[in-house]
Amino acid sequence: MDIVPQLIANSLIAGSIYAILTLGFNLTYASAKFIDMGFGVMTAIGGYTVFYVSKTLGAPLWLGLIAGILLSGFVSFLAYTFIYKPLRARKSSGAVLLIASLGTLTAVQAVIAILFTSQFQTLSGLLHGNRVFELFGAAFTAVQLSIFCVGVLLFLLLAFLLKKTLFGKATVAIGDDEEVAKIVGIDTDRAMGRLFFLSGAIGGLAGILIGFDTGIEPIMGLPWLLAAVVAAIIGGIGNIYGGIAGAFLLAFAENFGIWKIAGEWKAAIAFGLLIIFLMWRPQGIFKR
Amino acid sequence: MILQTQHLYKHFDGVKAVDHLSISFEKGKITGVIGPNGSGKSTLINLLTGFIPFDSGEVIIAHTHHFTKVKCSDVAGYGLTRTFQDVRLFEQMPVLDNVLVVLTERSVFGALFEKHGKFHLAKAEEVLTRVGLFEKRHALARNLSYGQRKLLEIARVLAMNPEVIFFDEPFAGLFPEMRKVVVSVMQELKRQGKTQILVEHNMELIRELSDRCVVLDSGELLAEGEPSHVLAKREVIEAYLGE
Repeated sequence: MDIVPQLIANSLIAGSIYAILTLGFNLTYASAKFIDMGFGVMTAIGGYTVFYVSKTLGAPLWLGLIAGILLSGFVSFLAYTFIYKPLRARKSSGAVLLIASLGTLTAVQAVIAILFTSQFQTLSGLLHGNRVFELFGAAFTAVQLSIFCVGVLLFLLLAFLLKKTLFGKATVAIGDDEEVAKIVGIDTDRAMGRLFFLSGAIGGLAGILIGFDTGIEPIMGLPWLLAAVVAAIIGGIGNIYGGIAGAFLLAFAENFGIWKIAGEWKAAIAFGLLIIFLMWRPQGIFKR
Repeated sequence: MILQTQHLYKHFDGVKAVDHLSISFEKGKITGVIGPNGSGKSTLINLLTGFIPFDSGEVIIAHTHHFTKVKCSDVAGYGLTRTFQDVRLFEQMPVLDNVLVVLTERSVFGALFEKHGKFHLAKAEEVLTRVGLFEKRHALARNLSYGQRKLLEIARVLAMNPEVIFFDEPFAGLFPEMRKVVVSVMQELKRQGKTQILVEHNMELIRELSDRCVVLDSGELLAEGEPSHVLAKREVIEAYLGE
């Protein structure tokens, strides 16, 4: 069997999950202008909430999904309100905010490990059968197809939100010049709070999808965050459309890169690509 | 008086930028703020609009609101706004959105499901027409010429419908036609009873537009009064020309 269709399918699936993560990451980066490492742990919050609500408590899956998305959004909102907002008010540097967000990631990760142990868990048992499809010689599961569809829907939703609503325009304005946004009367604090909520909720959704596809563990946040950051930088950090391009470029590079070599090289390929971009096209594919 | 400062003080690394300044701006009037470079004109605007915190003193708005600290996020709520010496726009956004965004609904759902979209669009188009940028409404702000950028900043001010406006060198670098537009906008705002503070180097424009004039030198108030009278003062001429 020719492996190329499968590599393409794998790349599209990985690209979709990277794209969802990058959308969430870029949302706060574009406005708050710092690398929010805490975003990574929202994946674990989303995944573990579904695990607890629907697997441990036995509540319906839809309830677990809603709880997972809302809780991750809420934790992200709290992190902004009680950590990043006061630091930004003191005009702390991006490095300070990055370290603070790393603290958020580490602390929340530790709490999840205490509550659920460090054991790898899977959410796939919650689904009654995960059909396998075959198309153009490539096999993929219903969950993987859902990831792709969610990615597309989320992108369309965010594009609509940013382009067509005044909330979206205010978001772009804050990203452009926060001081001027304030002076023209935009409530930047509230807008930023909402953006962190939205970003966290997207991270949680990504974590749930990852949980259904592969599985969840408390330390899942960092590797997925790094993938999102690499994709965002490649695409043009802070640019939501660029982030999508970066996500798929990264996924194709990783999956085709390990065609003839061991899978352990995947991370090296990702960071190799990142270094190439940082050296020769630091503004990414799409400049902001 | 709609806006007053009491012993406003700001220093940068030992240099007094604004030195215990007590001035007031009258409601409905255009006050010209002049002074040589480095006299503290722009710093004064930055202090009054919360862009720079002041070290001591007080800002009083409409007799009733006393501030020992001004936050730029609160300024619009008190009906104050400003333009910038170096124009600051939302560069990634089209011209129309630069104006629309200041009309943003404050509530979450109001912002998401804009109920007054048509009204806001009409208002945005009206102010863009007023400054002659209607044809450019779909262009990105960053692609505008320098003069057009200045006009867009003024359109943004008009959309906000503020009570007090600080104009920081609004005529610098403008072609005569554009200059006429800004002059007529300022005169119209005056007819509407808006309070305007105009920082400007062009003395002809100060004479033409200002009802009152204050002169700053090294952060201190050097003179104030009717423009033709103030501009004729020997100490003002000396401070300006460095004689």
